[in-house]
Amino acid sequence: MTIAAAFVAWAGAAVITLADGRRGLALGIAVVAIGFGALAFANGVWLGGAALIAGGAVCAVQLARTGSKDWGLMPPGSTPRMILAVIAAILSLWVAASVTTGPGGSLRFASVAVLGLMAARLLQAQAASPVLIAAAALAIALAGASGIGDTQRGLAPYVLGALIAAGASFLPVREPRGA
Amino acid sequence: MEPELAGVPHSISPISATLLLAAAVSLALVVVFAPQRARLSSLLMWGVGGLAGMAAIAVAPSLDLVILLTLAIALLHAALAGRRALAARLRAPALAVALIGVGLLFARFDGPPILERFAAVGLVAGLAAALGVLPYIHEFDHEELTTASPVAWIAFLGPILGVVVITRGRELIPEAGAAFGAMLIGLGLLNILWGSLASWLTEKGTSAWHYSFMADWGLVLCAFGIQVADGQAAAVLILSGILLSRLPLYLWSRQPLRESVQTDRPINLLAAAMLAGAAPFAGFAARILLLRGATQLYWPLALVIAIGLLLWLPPSLRLGRTLGVPRGRQAVGAGVTLALSVAIGLYPQPILSLAGL
Repeated sequence: MTIAAAFVAWAGAAVITLADGRRGLALGIAVVAIGFGALAFANGVWLGGAALIAGGAVCAVQLARTGSKDWGLMPPGSTPRMILAVIAAILSLWVAASVTTGPGGSLRFASVAVLGLMAARLLQAQAASPVLIAAAALAIALAGASGIGDTQRGLAPYVLGALIAAGASFLPVREPRGA
Repeated sequence: MEPELAGVPHSISPISATLLLAAAVSLALVVVFAPQRARLSSLLMWGVGGLAGMAAIAVAPSLDLVILLTLAIALLHAALAGRRALAARLRAPALAVALIGVGLLFARFDGPPILERFAAVGLVAGLAAALGVLPYIHEFDHEELTTASPVAWIAFLGPILGVVVITRGRELIPEAGAAFGAMLIGLGLLNILWGSLASWLTEKGTSAWHYSFMADWGLVLCAFGIQVADGQAAAVLILSGILLSRLPLYLWSRQPLRESVQTDRPINLLAAAMLAGAAPFAGFAARILLLRGATQLYWPLALVIAIGLLLWLPPSLRLGRTLGVPRGRQAVGAGVTLALSVAIGLYPQPILSLAGL
């Protein structure tokens, strides 16, 4: 179950990396939220997991119902991005399964993969929507990653991460204006 | 046992509390002595919002919450109307959050000791990206409003965020403390050199101010990297100087810069002396403490920093001229800023005691 959830989280991040259209990005953020929500459920943080899924769902719905209705999945020239998504998965798997030890390997894999891919997406994207969605996915991944380690950090990171993910899609996108 | 605020445990370090107070005083100075054409309501609203965000960062009980709060602030700041595209405004702070997040993950993983060193790399790289110092200088538009520009990160939000990330990061990776400190010193020296030279040689006056903040941050990073009491004291004084002296003077210089006014009056020379860290201003005490701390650690480092400090003089003379001749409220504001800096320079103990040093 946790392995499947971690794979789902990576798949969502890969979709965000590969999509330029609003529907594609909405699908990506929803899948990332489901993946990290399921990982939180597996860790016994039921409310936290539910918050992450709710935050991702709000973000996805808001994104899908406003603006242009295109998917923009794998537009021409996206081969480097696809290679990046695959290499990120392999490297994250190596870190989670081979370099590090202890329980929670699935959460380690998902956290490293999603953070790495979203950092790359932030650097690569020029339009507002992909950057906002990358930031939302980052919030979900960071909230989910608070479950790593021995210390209990409570619900606060999950709730804050969910609020950020949901709120990111409501931000008014004001583009350049004079001083 | 940490105290609780609305059921959530919180902790605030004396250094964070001191810088929060300095930020509040800085905001008050900027608002009370605002230039005539400044958008006062916008300045006040975003200043108070930033202060609230800084307070939340300072009291957050874990680094997880600190970086999530930073991401929330970054999103709200990016939503402000500015001259740069939203992607350009959000990219650097969000990347910083991702890098600090990766550092945090590596600090928590069980495994070989080298993981802590990777964590240190993530934390330092993320901090550089958040502040907008080398090697990740934020895209800067010299015509952009200060509230929407990268100056808000490097000069207003940066001091609290930097202190929190450095102090909490150090606790997370005790075995890589030396590597963490060395990286801070290396990055600091790089920014001293680049910031001061660029501030001196760049064409635009506003860019010169932006680079001067970078140079000051270079000193702060060196001071934190030294990891002795004198270094921490120097860092607190330099950060207070950024908030109480450099930021207000930058805001007051915006109008003369737009009008291309440059003057060589005594007030300009005094401002230049303050920016250069000459005696009896606060920067002088900070530099003495920094050099003393560096000498305790490794004397050639003190020599390198001392040579770097000489580079402050030409850009400070340039920046002092851009203030023009302050009149009315701004003249009073400049006087208050200079007096505050002299007071801290002559007797820094109250600030250092407040910071628990």
